[in-house]
Amino acid sequence: MPQSRPTRRTVLKGAAAAAAASTVGFPAIVGFAKEFDGVTINGASFQHVFFNYLKEYIPEFEEQSGMKVNFNTQAFPVYNQRTDLELSTKGSALDVVNVTFIYTGRWIGAGWVENLDPFVNDPNMTPSDWDASDFVGGAQSSLQDKAGSTYGFAWEAGAMIMGMSRGDLLDQAGVGVPESFDDLINVCDKIHNQERVTAFVADKLHHWNWIPYLMGHGGRIFKDPPGNLTPVLDTPEAAKAAEYYANLLTSYGPSGVLSYTDDQAMRAQIAGRSNIRTQAIGWMTPLVKHEDSKVKDTARYGLMPGGPAGNFPGSNSHGLGIPVGSKNKRAAWEFIKWAMSKETTRRIALEKGYSAVCRRSVISDPAYRENMTLNGQDVASIYLKVLELGGKSGYMKYRTVPIFPQVGDKLNKAIERVATRQQNGAEAMAQAQEEAIADLRKAGVEMDV
Amino acid sequence: MNIRATSARVAPNAPWRGRSFASLQRRFYWYCLWPALVVMIVITLLPTAYLVLTSFTPLDLTRPETQWNFSTPILQYELLLEDRRLHNSLWVQAKLSFWTVVLQVFLGFLFALLLNMQGGLLQALRTVFLIPMVLPPIVVAIIWKVLYTPDISPFHWFMEWLGLPVASLITDPDTALMAIVIADIWEWFPFCMLMILAALQMMPEELTDAARIDGATALQVTWYITLPYLKGVLMVAGLFRLIDSIKAFPLIFILTDGGPGTVTEVTNFYSYIQAFNFSYLGYSSAITVLLVGITLVLTWAVIRLVGWGERVE
Repeated sequence: MPQSRPTRRTVLKGAAAAAAASTVGFPAIVGFAKEFDGVTINGASFQHVFFNYLKEYIPEFEEQSGMKVNFNTQAFPVYNQRTDLELSTKGSALDVVNVTFIYTGRWIGAGWVENLDPFVNDPNMTPSDWDASDFVGGAQSSLQDKAGSTYGFAWEAGAMIMGMSRGDLLDQAGVGVPESFDDLINVCDKIHNQERVTAFVADKLHHWNWIPYLMGHGGRIFKDPPGNLTPVLDTPEAAKAAEYYANLLTSYGPSGVLSYTDDQAMRAQIAGRSNIRTQAIGWMTPLVKHEDSKVKDTARYGLMPGGPAGNFPGSNSHGLGIPVGSKNKRAAWEFIKWAMSKETTRRIALEKGYSAVCRRSVISDPAYRENMTLNGQDVASIYLKVLELGGKSGYMKYRTVPIFPQVGDKLNKAIERVATRQQNGAEAMAQAQEEAIADLRKAGVEMDV
Repeated sequence: MNIRATSARVAPNAPWRGRSFASLQRRFYWYCLWPALVVMIVITLLPTAYLVLTSFTPLDLTRPETQWNFSTPILQYELLLEDRRLHNSLWVQAKLSFWTVVLQVFLGFLFALLLNMQGGLLQALRTVFLIPMVLPPIVVAIIWKVLYTPDISPFHWFMEWLGLPVASLITDPDTALMAIVIADIWEWFPFCMLMILAALQMMPEELTDAARIDGATALQVTWYITLPYLKGVLMVAGLFRLIDSIKAFPLIFILTDGGPGTVTEVTNFYSYIQAFNFSYLGYSSAITVLLVGITLVLTWAVIRLVGWGERVE
């Protein structure tokens, strides 16, 4: 095979590169021929402030790696439906996906997302100081299978806390931060419609928001998840919890609260139209941090109130993973490695004020703790306490079973029926139980009924 | 041209030799038609056949073994009989279809009569009335979502300013379906109006002139002359709207998500949930086959009942 002779031009180019390398170091050589030049990867997730922040840094990553990143976000249900369908076909339209908490059991169990261990364990692809063990164990557990293989790295550890946009109204009413369900009703009674602010607000994802109230009343979703998935929705505890929560929504919520999305509920709070909300911390810190917030000086935080059976604030985690059908897995891993790195996580936490980070090294950073001191309250401590509560008894296991989406739908409908007085709690939960059993039979789930 | 002379010049072994002109013409038409038929079979009949086949399986996307599993072919149809939520969705569908079709045809008829009159303003209004129909359905849904959300709705602000605050219409089980019906009528009555207006403009003036000479009032002319003349177009407009009402989706998806509870959950939407939220494609296919059957029967019944109207020469 004939060898091409170096021309004068190539010799000059090489000399110039060597000179640049000698003055600015190795990265100049890397920049000369980037490994992923010309590669385009497509990513997707549901809309979340984390990705708004991440997108601001993506041009830097594109510059470093040479690849082009198209990262789209959609509303939570829309993203989940589309991605569920895309993953089920094992198509190659997406290279990076958010592995949504309630779908982790389903997507990992069905083999639709890639095992990331080979990427992490290969020193040619991942340097040891990337440190996969730095991720909080509780946040990672839902992204692993029974054998301990990892299918995603968590960008959010959601911890449900209570946020009050107008703490001053509680002071005026002479009440403190509610600690129990009875307290919460008492406080709502006293502050509702004071200065045209509704006492409570929630979004319509009842199968997330309502569960702590269900468990606090002593109820459960399944008999013993993930082993025994027999629904146990038709209990007196579940009926009582449904009526309690429906009363919160209808007596103390704004008109139309049943149609509120996540963002609408947050807007109601930061505009000072609604006061108390129990939701993941990511939706709560904007009370103080959001540029549009009118309640920066009056916002207050607390632990989710407990019920007669205890305190069960929801916790979850969402992570970035790679679909098995992706044709750019190497590039996709490069993106995840960058997005979930200590450096990027630290920048998003400290420069943007993002709270729900999952890297221990960042959470324990004094700068992060300072950043999470909101209106003089140590919100980081509340956050860690919720994560610990969730990890202790494993009460969140119900949420990662493959058939949770079916059961969650029944819960949403049941709460709506009670809140609109179409049924009482017992009737609504009995119907939810009946429908859940019928649906789980279709999925081939073995039950004790 | 002398046909006999022409045929005499036909080669003795030509393939069409000895065939009648009609037969040759039929054959020619078939040759012209077959490319279109092939396309239709590929894009319409094959997916429908796949839908019907899938309905005989318990296809669940999370369980690959359920694909092409015909061991219990009628199981999905048996489940239809027991599914109370499906039965409710059929009832909701019936209510939605009835009110939207009746009111759209009625309003379309009234507005067409109005716009059929002469006048510069009325001519201009024709275009204005068409705007809702040409908007993308998702835009229409978002417009109504804004109108129905008390925090941001000019309608709710106005009512509150009047001292008559109105609770959210889309989260009240007594008004949620009505809210969807109103939005659907706003979007689609111009379609009926347009069809009826076109027919009215084709209507021979002699018919109404003769009736007026005989002393008929405006109401009598409308009832005895115009309506019978429009019978066919009213039925076609109604049928189009009936079929479209069964396909209702964007308004429900954006405004109510089928709720509160299942008050606005129509069968089409329920089928979507089964397929795309739960991955039960087999069951969803069975629901869809049922829906196709109902649509065909309804269409046949309406045509039998109302007829196609009379052609006026």
